[in-house]
Amino acid sequence: MGGRKSIILLGIAAALALLPFGLPRFYTYLTALIVTTGLLSTSLNFALGFGGIYQLHHAVFYGAGAYATAVMITKLGYNPWLAFIVGPLVAAALSFFIGIICIRLSKLYYGMLQISLGSLVWAIVFRWYSFTGGDDGIHGISVPSMISSSKGAYYFTMVVAGLSLFLMYRILRSPFGSTLQGIRDNAVRSQAVGVNVRRHQLTAVVIAGFFAGIAGVLFVVVDNSVFPDMLFWTLSLEITIMALVGGWFTFLGPMLGAALIVLLRTFVSTYTEYWTFALGILLMLVILFLPEGILGKVFEIWKRRPLAEVRE
Amino acid sequence: MLQVKGLSKSFGGFMAVNKATLNVNKGEIVAVIGPNGAGKTTLFNLITGLIKPDEGQVVFKGEEITGLPAHQTCKRGITRSFQVVNIFSRLTVFENVRISVLSQQKKTYNWFTPSRNLFNKETSEILESVGLIGKKDNVCGALSHGDQKILEIAIALGGSPELLILDEPTAGLSPEETTRCIDLIKQLSAHLGLTILFCEHDMELVFAIANRIMVMVRGSTILQGPPKEVRSHKGVQDAYLGESEYA
Amino acid sequence: MTLDVIAAFCSPGVLCQILLGLSRTVILFIVASGLSLILGVLRIPNIAHGSLYMIGAFMAYTVSKVFGGGMTGYWMAILLAPLGVALVSFIIERGIFSRLYEREHIMLFLLTFSFALVFGDLVKMVWGAEYRSVSMPRFLQGSIPIFGLPFPIYNFFLLLIGPIVAIVLWLIVNKTKMGKISRAAAVDREMVGAVGINVSLVFCIVFVIGCFLAGLGGALVAPIVNVVLGMDHTLIMEAFLIVIIGGLGNIWGALLGAFIFGITQSLGILIWPQFGIVFPYAAVIVVLSFRPTGLLKSTW
Repeated sequence: MGGRKSIILLGIAAALALLPFGLPRFYTYLTALIVTTGLLSTSLNFALGFGGIYQLHHAVFYGAGAYATAVMITKLGYNPWLAFIVGPLVAAALSFFIGIICIRLSKLYYGMLQISLGSLVWAIVFRWYSFTGGDDGIHGISVPSMISSSKGAYYFTMVVAGLSLFLMYRILRSPFGSTLQGIRDNAVRSQAVGVNVRRHQLTAVVIAGFFAGIAGVLFVVVDNSVFPDMLFWTLSLEITIMALVGGWFTFLGPMLGAALIVLLRTFVSTYTEYWTFALGILLMLVILFLPEGILGKVFEIWKRRPLAEVRE
Repeated sequence: MLQVKGLSKSFGGFMAVNKATLNVNKGEIVAVIGPNGAGKTTLFNLITGLIKPDEGQVVFKGEEITGLPAHQTCKRGITRSFQVVNIFSRLTVFENVRISVLSQQKKTYNWFTPSRNLFNKETSEILESVGLIGKKDNVCGALSHGDQKILEIAIALGGSPELLILDEPTAGLSPEETTRCIDLIKQLSAHLGLTILFCEHDMELVFAIANRIMVMVRGSTILQGPPKEVRSHKGVQDAYLGESEYA
Repeated sequence: MTLDVIAAFCSPGVLCQILLGLSRTVILFIVASGLSLILGVLRIPNIAHGSLYMIGAFMAYTVSKVFGGGMTGYWMAILLAPLGVALVSFIIERGIFSRLYEREHIMLFLLTFSFALVFGDLVKMVWGAEYRSVSMPRFLQGSIPIFGLPFPIYNFFLLLIGPIVAIVLWLIVNKTKMGKISRAAAVDREMVGAVGINVSLVFCIVFVIGCFLAGLGGALVAPIVNVVLGMDHTLIMEAFLIVIIGGLGNIWGALLGAFIFGITQSLGILIWPQFGIVFPYAAVIVVLSFRPTGLLKSTW
C-alpha cells in the first residue's frame, strides 16, 4: 500500500474515531448506518466485482444474518453475543445452499434464480408472523449494554466493520483472490490451467454471504430492529448501485458509493419525496458516462491505466 | 504417452470429429494438420476436457482420462494454449502466469498469504524461458499480438505440464514472430524435455520441427506418420487440392 | 380415502377458486410473455417491465376518465393505454438502450432498474399516491354460474383473452418474417447483422412489442384491482418466476409457467393459507432442479 494511500486512510480512520464527539447523535447513527451498508455493498462486490458472479440478490444473506440474530435474542432468548456469532454463520449456510442450487447455471440464469430463491426466503419471513414478526418485523431488540448506547454501537460497528474489510482485503490479495479474479476475467482459461471454477465461485459466494451476515448483525446493533424489506430484491439492487457508483473494480468503491447514496437519500429526502426518481437518474448517468465508478475513475486518472470493463 | 482411440463428437448432426486416432510418444513433437474445419481444435478440446466426446477413448500415461473436465486433465499433466488468444486481460503478464503456477501448486484456496509474495521465482523462470521477462508488469491487454501468443504458451507452461498442447501457435503472426515461436517450441522440447502436440496451417513449420504428423480431413484421421511419409501420401495431397499452399 | 381427497379437490368451490386464480394469472401471463420476449431476443431481464405494467394501468384510468367511463371509456383504455406504454418504451429504447447493446448484461440489467426507479416516481408525480379505480363496461359486470357457483364475468373474459393473446403472439413470432428474424437474432445476433439485417431495428420492434404487452396487462387488470403505486414490485417478481419456470424467450413456456403459478398459488392458499404465496416459489425450485433452463426450450 502506497504511502499516500495509507495517510488518507489513517486520516479517515481518525476522523471516524472522533466523529461522535463532534457531531450530534443523529450523525453518529447515520455514519454507523453508512459503514454497515458499505460493508454489505463491499461483501456484494467481493462476489460481483472481483468474482464476476451475478450476485443479484445479495440482500437475502444480510437479512438472514440480521433475522437470525434478532430471532435468537428475542424469540429464543439466547445471549446476544452468541446470536452475533450465529447470524453470519446462518448467512453463510444460506449462501451455501442457495449457491449450490444456482452455481451450475451461468451468469444471468444464476442471477435470476438467486432472485427467485431469495424472494422465497422473503416470502416465508414476510408471512411467518409468529416467528419473524411478519411484515412488522421485530423491534426493540435488546443488545448488551456496553454497545447499546449510540456511541457504543458506533464504535462496535467501526471495529467490526474495519476488521471485516481488512479480512476481505487480505483474501482478495491472496491466491484465492487472484484465482477468483482470474475466473472473472476468463473462466475458460482458468479451467484450462486447472482451476475448479464452480467450486471456487461457490466458496466466494459463501464468503460474501458470511460478511453480509456480519453487516446484518451490525444493523441489529445500530438500529435494534429488523424488517422484511431487508430481504427484498430492491435492496439488493440498491447495494449493487452503490458498488457501481463507487467503482466496482475497486475495493473501497462500494463503501464510497454507500456513503454517497445514503447521504444523498437522507438529505434529498428532506427536500423532495421523489428520491427514487433521483436515484434512478443517478444510476442512468453513471451507467452511461461513468461505468467504472467514481473511485474507478480516480484510479484511472491516477495510474493512467484503463480499468475498462469487459466487453462480451 | 497419449493415446486417442476412435474419438468422435458431433454437434447436432454435424460430425466434427469422426473416430480420430492419435498416438504421441514421450519427448516427441507431433503435429496435427488438415484443412480448415477439419476438426483439429475440436479434437484438442476433446482431449483436454473442454467438451465431452460422444464415443472413443483418451488414455494418458496409461490412465483413461476420457471425458474428464478441463481442470482435471490439467492436473494430470496436460496443458494447452488457445488458438484465439485467451488470457486474463485485466492482469499483468506476471500475474497471468502466476495464476497458472498457483493452480499447479494447489494453492488456490489459500486465503491469507498475499499472492505477490508467492512463487515469484518460478513465474520469473517461465517468463525468462519464453523471453517475456522484460514485459512482466505490462497489462497484457496492451501487448502486441505476437507477445500475447507467447504469453498463451507461458500460461500453459505454468502448469508444469508433461504434455503441452498448442492450438495454432503461429496463427496471425508475422514472419519474425513465427520464427521466434518455432525456436521456442524447439527449445521447450530440447531443454525442458516437454512432449508437444500442436496443430498448424503453416506447412513449412510443421515439416521443419515435427517428429510425426497426423492428418485430419473432415473429422477423420487419414494418416499418422513421419514427415516424409505424409509428404508423399496421395490422400494428403488430394485433401489439400484446391487449398492454397501457405508460405 | 384418496377418493375423498380427490372429491374434495374436485368440489365446485375448489375448482372455482382455481379458475379464479387462473384468471388472474392470465394477466401475469400477458406481462410475462412480453418479458420473456425481451429476455429471449435482447437478453435483457427488463426490471422496468413491472413499472410499465403499472403505467399501463394508470393510463387506462386516465383514458377511461377522458372518454367518460362506461363502454367507450373501457375499450379506448384497452386500446390506447398499451399503445401509450409502447410509445414510452420506444422512446427509451431509441434514446438510451440502443446505445448500450454492446455492454455487459449486468449494466443493461441495472439500466432497466434505473428506469423502474424513474417510472415509479414519475407515476407518483403524474397521478399522485392515491388509489385509482377503473370501471368496467356493464356487459362485463356481474357473474355467471360456473360449476353452480357465481363466477365474475370479467374474470371469465380474462380466461378467454389469455389464450387469444398467446395465439396471436405465436402467430407473430412464428409466422411473420419479423418473428423469424427476431428468433434468429436471439440465437446469433452477429450472424443476422452480417446478412444485412438491421439488428438494432429488430431489437427495437421486439422491445416495443414486449412493453406493449406489459401495458396491455396493466390495462386489463385495472378494473379489478386497486390501481396504486407499488403494484409493480410484486408483479415483476412473479413475472420473472413464470419466465424462469417456462423457459426464457418461450411464449408457450410463459403460458405454462403462468398456469403452474396460478395452480400452485391457488392450491397453496387452499391448503395452507398463511404460506400460500410460498408455493409458486417452491414450484420454481422443483422445476429447476431437474430442468435448469426451464420447462420448455429457451432461446438460449
